Amino acid sequence: MTHTATAEEDYSGDTIRTLLPFDGIPAIRNPQFVAADEAKLGDNAPVIGVNFNGEQHAYSIYLLNGHEIVNDVVGGIKIATTW
Amino acid sequence: MYSRELDGGTYTFGVSGKLWRDALVMYDHQTRSLWSHITGEAIQGMLKGKNLKILAAMPQIDWRTWRLNFPRTKVLSVPIDLFDKTVTIEEQRRDSYARYHAGPETGVSGMWYSDARLNNKALVVGVKHQDQHRAYPFSAFGRQPVINDRVSNVPILVFHEKRSRATAVYNRTVDGTPLEFAWSRDYFAVDSSGTIWNLITGLATEGKYKGKRLERLPSINLYWFAWARYHPDTTIYKQ
Repeated sequence: MTHTATAEEDYSGDTIRTLLPFDGIPAIRNPQFVAADEAKLGDNAPVIGVNFNGEQHAYSIYLLNGHEIVNDVVGGIKIATTW
Repeated sequence: MYSRELDGGTYTFGVSGKLWRDALVMYDHQTRSLWSHITGEAIQGMLKGKNLKILAAMPQIDWRTWRLNFPRTKVLSVPIDLFDKTVTIEEQRRDSYARYHAGPETGVSGMWYSDARLNNKALVVGVKHQDQHRAYPFSAFGRQPVINDRVSNVPILVFHEKRSRATAVYNRTVDGTPLEFAWSRDYFAVDSSGTIWNLITGLATEGKYKGKRLERLPSINLYWFAWARYHPDTTIYKQ
C-alpha cells in the first residue's frame, strides 16, 4: 500500500475513491430494444421495469451488471436507469 | 431511476469508475460533474449540490410477472458477441461484485460502516418524502406483502411480494380519501370499499374505483447499511 492510499483511509467514508478509469464500465447511450417475444429472458430473470405515459421498458439486471447505466427515453421522459 | 433533465438542460451519464460511500458514482458527459447513484446529488464539479429528480420505477421484478402485466413492453437488448474479450473483462469485474454481495463487508473497498438497528445486509425498501426517510425491511413483508403507513403525513402503501420480487410504493389517496389496503392474492390488494387493485400496474381492476390508477412514488431497494449511511436520520417501520 502506498503512502497516498494510507492517507486516504478515512472512516467517515466520504473520500471519493477511484477503482476504474472513466467508462471502464461502459454505460449505454443508445439503447436498442426488442419486443417481449424476442427477449431471451427466463421467466425468473430479474428486470427493472419502467412505465411512463403508456410505454414500458424492461432492463435485465444481468445486462445492467455490465453497464450500470442506461440513458433512455420512455414515453417521452428522458431517464437514466441505474443499477 | 432519475430524470436526465435539469434546469432546462438534458444530460447523459456514464460510469466514473469511482465510489463514494461505497456506491457507484456517475458522471455527466456534458460537465463531467460527479453524481451519487444513491441520492442523485452532484458531489463534485460544476453542478455540485444539484439534485436529479428521482422517478418511480419497478426496482426489481421477475420477467414473467412484468411481461404478463405489460405484454407490449420493450426489452433492452445488447447486441454483443459473447466471445468478445471485453465481456470476459466485464465478467471478471462482475465476480468482484459477486464476492461483495456474498460477504459480510459493507464496503467494496473493504471499509466498515454500521448502524446496529438492523443487520448490515438486511435488504430494505427505502422511502423518502420531503425530509422524512423510512426503511421497510424485506422481513416485514413476510405474511403481509402490503403495508399501510404514513411518511411526512402522506398516506402510503408499500408493497413487496417475495414470489415475483416486485416492490412498489403508492400514495393510497384516491379521490381525496386515504384508503386502507389488505393483501388479496399474488400482487392484488383489496381496499376498504372492496375494490381490487393490481399493485404491479397500480390499476383498480374490479369494484367501486375500477379504472382508477394509484400514484406511484419513488423508492429504492438496497442494503440497510447503505440506506442508513446516506440517511442516518431514517426511521424503521415496525409492525
